[in-house]
Amino acid sequence: MKVLVVDDFSTMRRIVKNLLRDLGFTNISEADDGSTALPMLQGGDFDFVVTDWNMPGMQGIDLLKAIRADANLAHLPVLLITAEAKKEQIVMAAQAGVNGYIVKPFTAATLKTKLDKIFERLG
Amino acid sequence: MSNTPSVHVSLEQAKLIVEYLEAGQQDKADELVAEIQNPINSSLFEEIGKLTRQLHDSLMNFQLDSRLNDLASADIPDAKERLNYVIKQTEDAANKTMDAVEAIFPVVDTIQQQVKKVAPLWHKLMHNELTTDEFKSLCVDIDSLLKTTGTETDIMRSLMTDVLMAQDFQDLTGQVIRKVIDLVHEVEESLINMLTVFGISTEAAQEKVLPKVGDNLVEGPIVNTKDRDDVVADQVDVDDLLSSLGF
Repeated sequence: MKVLVVDDFSTMRRIVKNLLRDLGFTNISEADDGSTALPMLQGGDFDFVVTDWNMPGMQGIDLLKAIRADANLAHLPVLLITAEAKKEQIVMAAQAGVNGYIVKPFTAATLKTKLDKIFERLG
Repeated sequence: MSNTPSVHVSLEQAKLIVEYLEAGQQDKADELVAEIQNPINSSLFEEIGKLTRQLHDSLMNFQLDSRLNDLASADIPDAKERLNYVIKQTEDAANKTMDAVEAIFPVVDTIQQQVKKVAPLWHKLMHNELTTDEFKSLCVDIDSLLKTTGTETDIMRSLMTDVLMAQDFQDLTGQVIRKVIDLVHEVEESLINMLTVFGISTEAAQEKVLPKVGDNLVEGPIVNTKDRDDVVADQVDVDDLLSSLGF
């Protein structure tokens, strides 16, 4: 399974990568914002996207909307891991078709639970 | 001016003006007329003078608050540098910690593999099912396990010390941030002073105002979740909200 981790902070990408690796995901690529991520997704055969919300350039929510608007990518599961905690934003993400929403700071157990849930739903 | 009620010409003054005019002393007559009008002018001038003085004082106070100047030209740029230092220090610490942790993983894996390798024969030994050849093989494996564990735990100890030492950022960044907080406090007081000088009440404007948000409502981490009802406090809240939306 090929995963793209999108976050503007390299340390956060590293943390998420390590956690994902521990959960058995070994094929992981990185991008530092939505506008870098989108062409990577369009060009590669990614199976899953983990993204931050607040990034310079293209934000995570806009990346999510762009993914859902692209016929070739629309099916991709997207997990938001973000410090953004306004109810309005969570509703916005849900309406945009997010598959999971994790607020920072988060734990390895939370990530595992959300991933299990996402893949269980996808069957 | 002529219809201003406060102008009073006395009979003497009127006679005097007539005298001057009859004597062809136009200048003196004009002078006297000006003098009669003077009381109004002087109170008007006095009023303008008072306002000018106030304005002058206000401007002087404003200039005299040279601290404000220092704040803008020196302290705030300095604070920006200090905060960049905090970003750098915390990033370095995170990377140092992750370097060490990532180096510890394979060490643990090696020990785990060797333990797994020894386990079946050890199990047989405990149940008296071990052949002599197997015993020899077990001895070799245990020997290797003991040696590896010895050297690998030394490596782990050193890496864990690295993790420990990487936490020194907390002290340094704490000091820097405290200084910046002091500065923010000082800027706040200077701004309030400035508003007071211009006669603007800061209390009137103290309605509850939410922090400014960026595109897509972006606000970053919320530090006062308890005081706000438009935000979630933790992951449980997020999950509840999502499930209420049929997630």
